Amino acid sequence: MPARRGILDLAQTILFVIVLVLVPLCLYVVFAVVPTESRMGVVQRIFYFHVPSAICAFLGVGVCAGASALYLWKRDRRFDLLAHAGAELAVVFCSIVLISGPIWARPVWGVWWTGEARLTSTLVLWLIFVGYLVLRGSADNPDQAARWGAVVAIVGALDVPIIYKSVAWWRGLHPRVLKATGGQGLDPTMERALMLCMLTFVLLFTYLIIQRCRLGRLQDDVQALVHAARRGSLPAART
Amino acid sequence: MPPVDLSVFHGPLALLMQSGEPVTRFTAEAAAAQPAVVARGFRFLIAAYTAVWAILAIYILTVSVRLRRLSNQVRRLKEQSG
Repeated sequence: MPARRGILDLAQTILFVIVLVLVPLCLYVVFAVVPTESRMGVVQRIFYFHVPSAICAFLGVGVCAGASALYLWKRDRRFDLLAHAGAELAVVFCSIVLISGPIWARPVWGVWWTGEARLTSTLVLWLIFVGYLVLRGSADNPDQAARWGAVVAIVGALDVPIIYKSVAWWRGLHPRVLKATGGQGLDPTMERALMLCMLTFVLLFTYLIIQRCRLGRLQDDVQALVHAARRGSLPAART
Repeated sequence: MPPVDLSVFHGPLALLMQSGEPVTRFTAEAAAAQPAVVARGFRFLIAAYTAVWAILAIYILTVSVRLRRLSNQVRRLKEQSG
């Protein structure tokens, strides 16, 4: 077990170093290499972090919903920890999307916010997962909170396909940049820059979810140690 | 000098080898004609990037502080228990 833990720690460190190298590279590419978009000008460069943030928010929701379903099936605490971590990261990345989006919209659309389908459904997703975190944080019974949270996560995840398809289903201001079948509608340099930023954000997401799961395990350890101290026995704790 | 075929490169290397010229209409001439519009675009761009990295930095800092505090708590509890 200690050898396995050592390998995991090394993998985490390598992942962190890769992210540390990729982030300045992304900033350099976005600000110095990528061509300026013809209609929106420099403000379009928000796109390279706005879209990857949205992808990471969806990943967080997916991880949370998947782990929640597994928790309801197996009742394994590890899945609950993963679900909680996914929800927290979904809220963080969704917050980034909801802040960077209006900052991009103001000079391009002339408004900070509209009642457009994609914006509204993204806000609904954020509210659902903030609600999930509030539920998890305020419950007296952790098992009950985990079960209810799992149901909220699975129902909340149904909003993701609605967000994805909202541009096609309802007319709005949001452009359809990424298409499922070829023809991205992007300049090749812009497309490669977007892929680089996506890779960076997904690696950052992976690193953060590992750290957040570690945090959850440590919280469990503290609780177990406190209970054991009260009973007079000491359980084996992770560090 | 013959033109370099960039199609052989993929990913960041290809990006680094390409110029940052505007795609079409947003040319250097157009930018020079409308400096106020360009400056306004930069303000929004910088505001957005500041927000993105501030949120991520605060979150990473929060997680690392919580991790350190919990690790110390676990160590302290283990020491107290014997």
